[in-house]
Amino acid sequence: MADHPARLQSLQNRIRVNGITGLKRVMTLGSWLNLYFFWEKKWFFIAMVVGAFMLEMPLPEGLSPEGLIILTMSVVAVILFVTEPVPLPTVALLIIIGQVVLMGHDSSEVAKSLVTDSVLFIAGSLMLAVAVVKQKLDKRIAWLIVRMTGTKTWRVCFGITVVSGILASFVGEHTVAAMMLPVGITLITLTSDDPRKVRNLAAVLLFSIAYGASVAGIGTPSGGARNAIMIGYWKEFFYDPTNPETYKFMVSYVDWMVHAYPMFLIQVPFVTAILFWTFRPEYRDLSRAVVKLRALIEEEGSMKAADWMSIAIFFLVLLGWITISGDIGMGTVAVAGAAVFLIAGLVRWEDINSGVNWGVILLYAAAISLGLQMKETGAAQWVAEGFLAFLSPLGANEGFGLWAAVSVLTTGVTNMMSNGAAVAVLGPIVLKVSVVANESPIIIGYITAISSSFAYLTVVGTPACTIVYASGYLKATDFLIVGWKMAIASSVIMLVAAKLYWPLLGV
Amino acid sequence: MVNWNGAPGMSAAEIEARKDRFRILVCIDGSDECYQSLRYAARLGGGVDADIVLLYVRPVDQGLRSGGLQVRVARENMLKWGLELPGIQYLKKGRDMLKELGIMAGDEWREEVAHTDVNGDPLGDNKINYINEQGKMVVLKLKVATDIATGILEQWELGPYDLIILGASGRWKGMGRSFWDPAVAEKVAIHAPCSVLVARDLEEGHGHLICTDGSDEAMEMVRSDAELASRCDCPVSLMSVALDVEEEPDAKANVEKAEAMLKELGIEVKETIIRVGNPVDEIIEVGPDYSLIVVSESGKSGLQRFFMGSVAFKVMENAHNSVMIAR
Repeated sequence: MADHPARLQSLQNRIRVNGITGLKRVMTLGSWLNLYFFWEKKWFFIAMVVGAFMLEMPLPEGLSPEGLIILTMSVVAVILFVTEPVPLPTVALLIIIGQVVLMGHDSSEVAKSLVTDSVLFIAGSLMLAVAVVKQKLDKRIAWLIVRMTGTKTWRVCFGITVVSGILASFVGEHTVAAMMLPVGITLITLTSDDPRKVRNLAAVLLFSIAYGASVAGIGTPSGGARNAIMIGYWKEFFYDPTNPETYKFMVSYVDWMVHAYPMFLIQVPFVTAILFWTFRPEYRDLSRAVVKLRALIEEEGSMKAADWMSIAIFFLVLLGWITISGDIGMGTVAVAGAAVFLIAGLVRWEDINSGVNWGVILLYAAAISLGLQMKETGAAQWVAEGFLAFLSPLGANEGFGLWAAVSVLTTGVTNMMSNGAAVAVLGPIVLKVSVVANESPIIIGYITAISSSFAYLTVVGTPACTIVYASGYLKATDFLIVGWKMAIASSVIMLVAAKLYWPLLGV
Repeated sequence: MVNWNGAPGMSAAEIEARKDRFRILVCIDGSDECYQSLRYAARLGGGVDADIVLLYVRPVDQGLRSGGLQVRVARENMLKWGLELPGIQYLKKGRDMLKELGIMAGDEWREEVAHTDVNGDPLGDNKINYINEQGKMVVLKLKVATDIATGILEQWELGPYDLIILGASGRWKGMGRSFWDPAVAEKVAIHAPCSVLVARDLEEGHGHLICTDGSDEAMEMVRSDAELASRCDCPVSLMSVALDVEEEPDAKANVEKAEAMLKELGIEVKETIIRVGNPVDEIIEVGPDYSLIVVSESGKSGLQRFFMGSVAFKVMENAHNSVMIAR
């Protein structure tokens, strides 16, 4: 009988709830649902509604039903890439599910289509990146820089940009940003303890690292995932083993370097000039900081056997890419390099495992698979024709105008999502555009891959920017202030090179 | 105020003891605004029964954006060089400021360092507690979270706070922009279970302007804020806005009701203001003469607010000086 009062209470409660009528009752119900969940995830639902709407709309002329499904998946994926309502690898999972459920492909076939040489290359380079960062060579590199440059601020910054750039062109920009970030911050903190007194100096030094690495990412295929993705697309789209005419679409490591490396070298002085023009550092001379940094580095002692060993392995990998990657694939060389680092005991698997974000590999795999489907179903062709029809009134449907249009499109897209994903999504479309417009797919492909590194405007644009942003010294608006100048300078340099330099190579 | 049921690893006695304390959370981001608000917090939290917690939220290091190489690789490399995490400098500056202001006077302060692991970040949360013999606490906390607003709100869960102070970062945006990127202050103000003070040029000594509409919630708020104001000896002014001339007597009655209540509590009201017109515009116009405007959150639910907006949030968004939403 003791529970009588409690039961009475609960009965009263129930009556009270039932007593609420009309609008008020709806409101009560509303407060039970967690509306904020829907508000946070609104872009996911918007993307799904857009997708459902596209699937239900009448088939546009010239597009196959499969093409419409793939196009829908691409649009939904792009919305999710840009707005990120769900963790990005989720998008990869959704693409896989979509291919099986909506397209009716066999599950095993979809799984097989995920791993290509490009994906293997991305995975291998990331493992190599962790291995290289773990070698503690950063202090040696810092020593090299300050020995060459002296103590003037602009010379130190230029030195950092050059060295970051040359390294990044081979080992990838994220590796270099991770290695060089402590060098930059050490120089800043040794100059002044108060971050607000060295705001502009911090900006110049850190952007020298980030933009130096970013402009270099175009230099070689191993500079960034986007380059490997484009090489993969060229091969898948145009290479035909029976037709010697198409052999030029098997772009080798050296081919790429010949086309793109000079472009990186021309950009380097512009990086330093633009940074100094924009930020005007508080200190013209860093002698105090440089002297302390030298003392710090000299504590390390001379180079050890392990240091030489890791440098040697790295040069072997580089040699492998240059000489034999045409036969065994760039991905295989990268994976072999990671294996050698592990065998030599220079890096622990645990470090690699926690240092690589495996979700990114899944994401690239799914994006490339979607890109290839764009081509197979004719969706890429359809979008390409629409794009050209849109450009023709502007006179940009051929020649130089088209190049500029492709570059602007890629720059716009890459600032909103990771540059690898931008190339994976745009690649099939622009390559089809080049075919329809009777332009060289090689030129258009290079323009797309190179423009995708012009993501200077946002923190999320390029890996190097994201990493230096983690230092806490930069504001998101700093990227906007200096980024647009960099984007214009880089675009102009690239288009001039495409017009004057590439023809000399007979593209 | 939402009931707080303790954080993991606390005994029942600790939980009860903590509920009795007056706890202020000051969000530090290195701006002038945040140190101004810290100065104000020091004034409010000068008593023995008050704790001041300085919080810096660092975005969690994640590798999707950095091209597949985890930012932690760079972070570990930085630590190897002996570099501090971002934010530590700012927190230490805040602590030194509290020392200067005499909050941490005496040398019986005990120092405790604590670390909590956080999923997805190798370095986790770090904090330093300074506790004196009377049990007064000053805490420096470096927290990681997916975004800043989430970090601040999570911090509330770990220990109830009576007041969250954060600087307006000039990032208040209209509905269109906030659809893309909600401002931190906005998100915290909407979701925090306690009072939130958004500081803009927060100056001491000009008094509190308390706005009331006569509702029960508002009366409760008037009482709690008047107590707060008495902590810093700030003069209190009452204001009510009538929508049109006919309602003016109602507004007058509201103010008088509040004034009578405060008199009973022994708190003197410096002046009373009655205005006619749009509440948001009138409050914003009168506001700059005071240190801060105090408004109560109306009883509207999320859905109602979504469609109709709320005076409190509009004032917070558009005012030229500091605004506190009292709960």
